[in-house]
Amino acid sequence: MPKGTTVLSAALDAGIHVPHYCFHPKLSIDGSCRMCLVHVEKAPKLQISCNTAATDGMVVKTDTPAVLEARKGVMELLLVNHPLDCPICDQAGECKLQEFAFQHGRGYGRTEDVRRKAPKRTEIGPRVVFDQERCILCRRCVRFTAEISGTRELAVLNMGDRSFISTYPGQPLDNPYSINTADICPVGALLSTEFHHKLRVWFLNETPGVCTSCSRGCNVNVGGYKDRVWRLTPRRNDAVNDTWMCDHGRLNIDYVNDERRARGAALRTATDGFEELPFALAIRRLADWVAEVKAQHGPQSVAVVASPQLTNEEAFLLRRLVRDVWGTSMLAVPVPMGEGDDFLVRPEKAANGRGFADLDVPGASLDQVLDECTAGRVKLLYVIGSEMLSVAGEARVRRALSGVERVVNHDILPTTISDHASLVIGGCTWAEKSGTYTNFEGRVQAIRAAISPPGGNLTEGEVFARLIASHGGASEHFDADRVLRAIAASVPAYGSVTPEAVQPGGVATGDAAQPAA
Amino acid sequence: MPGSVITVRRDQAETLLARIYLWEIVKGCVITARHFWRNLIGYMIGRRRTFVVNWPEEKVGYSPAFRGMPVLVQMENGAERCVACGLCEKACPTDCITIFPEEVGDGIQRRPKVFDIAIDRCMFCGLCEEACPEEAIVMSRRVEVASITKEGCLWHKEDLLTPASELPIRLGHIRNGYDRSPN
Ligand code: SF4
Ligand code: SF4
Ligand code: SF4
Ligand code: SF4
Ligand code: FES
Repeated sequence: MPKGTTVLSAALDAGIHVPHYCFHPKLSIDGSCRMCLVHVEKAPKLQISCNTAATDGMVVKTDTPAVLEARKGVMELLLVNHPLDCPICDQAGECKLQEFAFQHGRGYGRTEDVRRKAPKRTEIGPRVVFDQERCILCRRCVRFTAEISGTRELAVLNMGDRSFISTYPGQPLDNPYSINTADICPVGALLSTEFHHKLRVWFLNETPGVCTSCSRGCNVNVGGYKDRVWRLTPRRNDAVNDTWMCDHGRLNIDYVNDERRARGAALRTATDGFEELPFALAIRRLADWVAEVKAQHGPQSVAVVASPQLTNEEAFLLRRLVRDVWGTSMLAVPVPMGEGDDFLVRPEKAANGRGFADLDVPGASLDQVLDECTAGRVKLLYVIGSEMLSVAGEARVRRALSGVERVVNHDILPTTISDHASLVIGGCTWAEKSGTYTNFEGRVQAIRAAISPPGGNLTEGEVFARLIASHGGASEHFDADRVLRAIAASVPAYGSVTPEAVQPGGVATGDAAQPAA
Repeated sequence: MPGSVITVRRDQAETLLARIYLWEIVKGCVITARHFWRNLIGYMIGRRRTFVVNWPEEKVGYSPAFRGMPVLVQMENGAERCVACGLCEKACPTDCITIFPEEVGDGIQRRPKVFDIAIDRCMFCGLCEEACPEEAIVMSRRVEVASITKEGCLWHKEDLLTPASELPIRLGHIRNGYDRSPN
């Protein structure tokens, strides 16, 4: 036990339940809620365990009659003015006030006074709403803006039972990490505007996953229900994101639920319409085209542009398919770049650029591939994802595509690329597949399918596996775990990365595996 | 409560006739046939003595405790009482309720955007009614809800809304039953 550990942390680490509101493992100690009172032997009064240092030989009791009675009292005071809002409160189901009222409360109220009225909906920022009646003044949100985001938008105004949380005038809570305050708020006082009144949280199936909006790979829980992703919430991983994530990543889920998602596969007809065809035939058709083009113009006339949002397992199979089976080095993996910051957000706006590099997948740059296309030397271009649009720009891509005879587009949404495509194959997002991503510092982290893909789409990995099979390779279904074992066996840096080891916190490879200086 | 006590002897030896069994079957048939003829003749001469209701032309009154299909209570202003809290959805043992909430007006209150009951799965158990904190879903007296299509069995919010004025008996009943009176 390191020096300075508090009684509360020690108890929580040992799996002993001590109710608490204001204590948060990643914030400074506040000691304002008084919920964590415990009995410390030889101390004259009950002590708040979150602000009492644990020492050797200390005897702490968490369930003496005095402690239980004190908890009842604290709960009673917190509830005196609390609205009976649970039926319309988004926090219900994951609310610490509900939980502790149930576990430690009296079970009935002893007051008949009219409850205090306060503003029920203040848009304190573009992405967070505030209900003052529900606030228990634990000051977690205030400490977050002071200590984590460093933006200091929130403060407690007034004193005593008049105090309330507020933003400073003209300074809305709009920092790029603002929704974390809704996560750490133990009650329903701060809520995500986006998720407000959307769904009861107990219906969400929370699958551990990884945010794919940048290469940090913040650990998240993917809240899926009825084949939609409803929300992302950060999952604690002290080696990656502590307990936080950025607002952009959290809200970047609309494309998963988009009505326009490509379903199934479709072939362009002579009259320039599209005709649906089964996946098996679409895969057969692509394999035939590749064989045809290779026979006539040589392997380098086949080019591939792949999305860095594919998992390591898919990248590994793609490398085998394109570089070994098709025999072309024209395989580009464009990684969109954007702004980063000095906290979590990274400039690489894709989940797995690092994984593709580690597995030595790219054989050419996007520039090379597009130039060859424009020059008419590429006869068949297989595009997975649409990252090249943002990397190279629409105009350049359009010019390149019109120089290619056959474009095959494997993507989740219609784009400029699918407008030019002879064959369209509906793809899957991260929410619909299992595998691993490698973050910018080489930590390999697992994702698991949270929902099923629209229109029975096959995952990219399955399509690659079937393509390899249709060129005479071993015919087996795509199994992410088995492919990961194959990666571990053939890529030295990934030797320790096994399906068992990557759950739940990931495995450090490369520079992430070096102890921090 | 005083009354005469009948002692039932359970160790009575079975008679030969009972053991032959065939006779017992004949006895049963005779009783059934007697009821049938009595009922038929009574019906023809207009003096029935057995309790038979010629449904659907005739109906009986149900007791307040009777549970028909669950319906949504509609307030006088036409809106639903339901706040889409999802407790009935969670309580329902057959998982036949589907609710998606939405914000109303000022963004504080909420109501169901979607409120569907798959009535073919509903078993009229009333647990949704018991779970509801708003007296918003109650068991009506409606039982004739059969349909020959799957879609016909899916009742949407508009179909389920029933004015509170049509449900006074049940609302009174649950107020007593679940002790939801103000004090
Ligand atoms: S904050 Fe918690 S206790 Fe308060 S209304 Fe919301 S769910 Fe209920
Ligand atoms: S808004 Fe939430 S986090 Fe902030 S002080 Fe109130 S209860 Fe605590
Ligand atoms: S009556 Fe029972 S089965 Fe029917 S909706 Fe209510 S809880 Fe579900
Ligand atoms: S329990 Fe009542 S208020 Fe809640 S969703 Fe069901 S009907 Fe609506
Ligand atoms: S957790 Fe100790 S006082 Fe709040």
